[in-house]
Amino acid sequence: MTRKGRRLTLIGVALCVVAFAVGLGLYALRDSIVFFYGPSEIAEKNVQPGARLRVGGLVKPGTLVRSANERISFVITDNAHDVAVTYQGQVPDLFREGQGVVAEGVLEAPGKFHADTILSKHDERYMPREVVDALKKQGRWQEGGGT
Amino acid sequence: MIVEIGHYALTLALALALVQAIVPLWGAARSDEGLIGVAQSTAIGQFAAVALSFAALVEAHLVSDFSVLNVAENSHTAVPTIYKITGVWGNHEGSMLLWVLILAVFGALVAIFARALPPVLRGNVLGVQGLISSAFLAFILITSNPFARLDPAPFEGRDLNPVLQDPGLAIHPPLLYLGYVGFSIVFSFAAAALIEGRVDAAWARFVRPFALIAWSFLTLGIAMGSYWAYYTLGWGGFWFWDPVENASLMPWLAGTAFVHSVAVMEKREALKVWTVFLAIVAFSFSLLGTFLVRSGVLTSVHAFASDPERGVFILLILAAFIGGALALFAWRAPLLKQGGLFAPISREGALVLNNLFLTTSCAAVMLGTLYPLALEQLTGEKITVGAPFFNMTCGALLIALCAVIPFGQSLAWKRGDLLGAAQRLAIAGAAGLCVAVALYAAMSGGPVLAPIGAGLAIYVILGASSEIAARLWRGGAPFSVLLARAAGLPLSTWGAAVAHLGVGVTLLGLAMTGFGAETIASMKIGEPRVVGPYVVAFESLQPRVGPNYRELVAKAAIRKGGAVVATVEPSKRFFPAREMSTTQAGIVTLDLGQIYISIGDENNGAIAARLYWKPLVTLIWIGACVMALGGALSLADRRLRIGAPARAKAALAPQPTRAG
Amino acid sequence: MIWLVFALMTGAAVLCALWPLARRRTSSEGEARAVAFYKAQIAEIDRDVERGQLPEEEARSARIEAARRLIAAGERAEVAGAPAGARVRRIAASLVILIGVPVVALDFYARYGSPNEPDEPIAARLNDPSRSNDLQAAVAKIESHLIAHPNDGVGYKVIAPAYLRLGRFDDAVRAYSEALRLLGDNPDLRADYGEAQVAAAGGVVTDAARASFQQALDKNPSSRKARYYLALAAEQDGDRPRAVDMYQKLLAGAPPDAPWAPAVRERLAGLGESAPAASAKVDAPPSQEAAAIASLSPEQRQTAIQGMVDRLAARLAAKGDDPEGWRRLIRAYAVLQEQDKAKEALAKARAALDGDDAAKRDLDALAKELGLES
Repeated sequence: MTRKGRRLTLIGVALCVVAFAVGLGLYALRDSIVFFYGPSEIAEKNVQPGARLRVGGLVKPGTLVRSANERISFVITDNAHDVAVTYQGQVPDLFREGQGVVAEGVLEAPGKFHADTILSKHDERYMPREVVDALKKQGRWQEGGGT
Repeated sequence: MIVEIGHYALTLALALALVQAIVPLWGAARSDEGLIGVAQSTAIGQFAAVALSFAALVEAHLVSDFSVLNVAENSHTAVPTIYKITGVWGNHEGSMLLWVLILAVFGALVAIFARALPPVLRGNVLGVQGLISSAFLAFILITSNPFARLDPAPFEGRDLNPVLQDPGLAIHPPLLYLGYVGFSIVFSFAAAALIEGRVDAAWARFVRPFALIAWSFLTLGIAMGSYWAYYTLGWGGFWFWDPVENASLMPWLAGTAFVHSVAVMEKREALKVWTVFLAIVAFSFSLLGTFLVRSGVLTSVHAFASDPERGVFILLILAAFIGGALALFAWRAPLLKQGGLFAPISREGALVLNNLFLTTSCAAVMLGTLYPLALEQLTGEKITVGAPFFNMTCGALLIALCAVIPFGQSLAWKRGDLLGAAQRLAIAGAAGLCVAVALYAAMSGGPVLAPIGAGLAIYVILGASSEIAARLWRGGAPFSVLLARAAGLPLSTWGAAVAHLGVGVTLLGLAMTGFGAETIASMKIGEPRVVGPYVVAFESLQPRVGPNYRELVAKAAIRKGGAVVATVEPSKRFFPAREMSTTQAGIVTLDLGQIYISIGDENNGAIAARLYWKPLVTLIWIGACVMALGGALSLADRRLRIGAPARAKAALAPQPTRAG
Repeated sequence: MIWLVFALMTGAAVLCALWPLARRRTSSEGEARAVAFYKAQIAEIDRDVERGQLPEEEARSARIEAARRLIAAGERAEVAGAPAGARVRRIAASLVILIGVPVVALDFYARYGSPNEPDEPIAARLNDPSRSNDLQAAVAKIESHLIAHPNDGVGYKVIAPAYLRLGRFDDAVRAYSEALRLLGDNPDLRADYGEAQVAAAGGVVTDAARASFQQALDKNPSSRKARYYLALAAEQDGDRPRAVDMYQKLLAGAPPDAPWAPAVRERLAGLGESAPAASAKVDAPPSQEAAAIASLSPEQRQTAIQGMVDRLAARLAAKGDDPEGWRRLIRAYAVLQEQDKAKEALAKARAALDGDDAAKRDLDALAKELGLES
C-alpha cells in the first residue's frame, strides 16, 4: 500500500468509528434525557402524562402512607403546588416527611406520579440542589434554614 | 501549637512551590543547570512541608481538638480511632490537603528519580509541577483552609457523616488521588516537551513508569469506589453513571489510551503529537473531576459542602492549566518532529484503533456528564442523562474494543499478519462462542447482552493467555524449558497479557450480573425465601449498641439443599450525633458470587428486605485488581529502568508467522 | 516560642532552596554522575545476560543505547563549561529565594493564621480542673455517656435542662422526650418537656406544647409551670380575659415570695397596658364562650374554637376597622396551623386597615413573629 493509501485507510477507519459513536450517542441521548421539574413547573408547563421526569420538592408532612409490600405514597410539594407520588420499594435512609426528595418516574395523570427511583439527601446539611432551586423559584427558600 | 505549625508549614510549602515553579523554568530557558538544581531540593522540601502539615491535621483529629473548625465539623469524640484518621480526608478541606500531599509525593519522586533526565527536561517538568502545586496550595489556603480555628471551641464535634464511617474511606480516596494526581506528572512531562519543542522515545520511556503508576492506582481507586458504593448504598448496584463516577472514569479512559499510545511512541517513534495531546487530556479530566466534585456544581455524597467561591477558584485553575496547556500545544506541537507512518494491519495500527475507541467513549461520557450542566447554564432547563445513554454509547464502544484486544496483542509491530492472528485466536473465539450459546440456551429471559458479554469475556481471557502460551510453546519443548522461557519473557509482555486478562475477568463479572436474582419482600422471622440457588431466612432481629451508633441487626441464615452455608447480619444503624441512619448490607461471598441482603423497616414483626443473588459478581473487582497487577508487572520491567534504545526495539516484537 | 519554631522552619526551607545554588557544583559534576549511571547500567545488562534473563540480541541493543548516551553525557560535560551570565542569574535566584520564601509564607500566615490560639485537645480540656464547672464540658461528658448507654433515662433528664441553658432547644426537646419514654410519664417532666417545646418554637406555645401542658395538668392540677404556660397560650391566642384570669389565679395561690411570681406579674402588667377598655367590651362575649369551651372535651373544644374563629372572621369581614380583632384572628389561624388562612387574613387586614399606619406596623410585627412572611 502506498503512504497515501495508508493514511487514507487510517482516516477512513477513524471516521467510521466516530460516525458510529456520534450516531449511537444521538440515538441514545434521545431516549435517556430526563427533565427535572418542581411541582409548580409541572402545573405551569402543563406537562403531558406519560412523560418520564424527575420531580423534586419537599415531602409534605402528614402525607406519607405506607402500605403492604413496601408500597408507599406521599405528596411532593413546593408549598405552592403538590404532586401525589406512589412508589414501591425501599426508600433511602434519609427519606422523611418535611425533607427534600427527588423522585424519578412517570407522570400518570396531572398531579399523579409513579416513581421508580427515590433519591434523598445525604445528610442534614445537604438538600438536593434541584430542590433548592425549585423552592427558590417559588420564594420558599431561606438560606440556612430550609422552609 | 502543633496546629499552627501545621498551618505555617502549609504556607511555607506554597512559598517553596513558587520557587520550584519560577527558578527551574527560568533555568531551563537559559540551560543553566545551577538554577535547574533548585527544582529537586525544593520539590523534596515542599513534600516535607506538606507532610508536616498533613501530620498536624491528623494529630488534631486524633486528639479531637475542636478548636480546629475542620475537626469540630467532621469529627466526634465517640468516633472510633480509625475514622478519626480517615475523617481527615472525609471532608472538603482535608481531602484537598491529601490531594496536595500526593502531588508533593509525586514531585519528590520525580526529583529523586530524575537524575538521569536531561537537565532541561528535568527543570521544565519540575517547574510545571511546581506551578500546579502553587495553584492548589493557594486554593487550599485561600478558600478551604483546614486549619481555620474556632474560638471558643465547642466541646463536641458534629461527627463524621455516617455514610463515610467505613473502611472504604481509608482506601478509596488515597488510591483515587494517587491515580488522579499521578497524571499531573504525565501532564508536566507533556508541557515540558512542548516548552522544549522536543519529544522522543526517551521521553516516552521516562513518562511511562509514572503513567503506569497513575493508571494502576486509578484502576484500583475506581474499583474500590465502586465496591464501596455497592456495599454501602444498599441498592446492590456497583456503577450508577453518577457524574462523580464519570469524573473518575474519564481520566481513566484517557489514561488507558495514553498508556497504549506511549508504547507506540516508545517502540516506533510514531503518534508523538497525539501522545502529548492525550497526556494533557488525561490530567485535564482529572482536574475537571476535581472541579465537578469540589465546586458543588454537582450534588452527591462527594460534594461535602458547596461554596461558590471555591467553584470559581477551581474553575480558574482549570481554565489556566487546561487552556494554557492546549494553547501551548497549538503553538508548539507543529515543532515536534512527526514520526513515521505505519501499516494499518500491525500492532501500532491496532493500538490506534484502541485509542480511537477509548477516546470516543471518553468523549461520550463527557457529553453525557457535561451536557446537562451546559444546558442548565444556557436555558435553565434541568435534565439528567440516564444510565441507558452511557450503557449504549460507552458500553457498545468498549465491547467493540474488547473484541479487538486479542488481535492487537497478536499482531506484530510494523507489519502484522491478520490471517495468522485470526488463526491463533480461533480457539479462543470458538470457546467464547460456545460459552455464549450455552449460556443463552440456559437463560430464561433477561438481557441478550449478558451471554454475548460472557462469551466475549471468555474470548478475551483465552486470547490474553494464548498470547503468552504461543510465545512459550514454540515447538513443544519440555516443561523446564517453558519455565525458563516464561522467566525470560519481558515483564512488560506479561504485564500487558495480565492486564488484558483482567479486562476479560471484569467483563465476565459484568456480564454475569444478567444471571442474578433479586427479590423485594416483607419477611417474617423464620419465613424462607428463594434467591437464586439459595434459600434465605431471618432468624432473629435484635438491637445492638456500637461505639457511636445504635443498630437493629437482623440475622439471616443462607441454606443450600437444607444445610446452612453461611449467616449474614444486615443492619440499620442510627447515629445520634447527626440523627442519621445508614443501611449496612449483609454480604457473603459464595463461589465468587455474592448473596446481598439489605433490610428496611420493621413492620408488625416482618422485616422489609431486598435480597440479591449475584453470581460471579466479585470478578468485577478482582478483574480490576488483575489489571492493576498487569500495570505493576509492566512497571517492574527492567527496560523501563534502563532507558534502553527505541529504534532497536522492533527486533523484540513477536513473530506471529512463526507461531501461526 | 511559636515564632522561634516558625523562624527555624523558614530557615530550613530557605536553606533547602538555596543549597543547590550555594554548592559550587559545575555542571560537569552532574554529567559525571550521568556517566557513572550509564556505566552501572551496562554492568547491569551484563549481569542480566549472565543470569539468562536477557536475550543476547536484546542486551546488545541495550548496550549500544547506553553507550551512546554515555558518550553524549561525556560530550555535554565538556560543552557545559561556564555559561555566560550564570553568576548573575545565581545571585538573582538566591535573592528571590531569600526574600520571597519568608515574605510569601509569612504574608499568607499573617492573613489566615491564628498564632496565639493554643491547641485544645479534648482530653486535656475535660480533665482541666479549672473547667470542671463548665456547663459545656459537663454536657459533653453526659453526651458521651448517653451514646454508650442510650437507655439511661436519668441521663437524659439531667442533660435536658443543661441544653436549655445552652440554648440548644431542639436537643432539649429530644432529651426530654427520651427521658419521658424511658422513665415513664410524670407530670413535672411532661411540663418541662412542654417548656422546652415552647423554647424550641421561639416562645410560641404550639399545639404540641399545649397538649403536653394539658397532660401534665390532668395528672397534677396544681402544676404551676403547666398553668403558667396555658395562660400564656391563652394570651397568645388573643383571649385576654381568660389569660388574665388564669394568671391571677396562679398568683393567688402563690406564696408572696415565689421566685416566678414577678414573671407572672410582668405578664399581667403587659396585658393591662395593652388592654384598652373599648376592645375589652368587644371581647366580653367571647370570654364567656372561652370559659364554656374550657369545660368541653378536646374534640368539642376544637369545634367550638373553630366556630369562634369563624364568627370573628365573619364579623371582621362585615366591619373591618378593628385592628385588635384582625390580630386575634391572624394569631388564631396561626395557632390552628392554618397558614394559608392566616396569610389570607393578613392580606385582608392590610386592605381593611389601609391608612392606619400604627395598626399596619403592628400587623407587620405580628406577621414576622408568626413567620407568615419569609
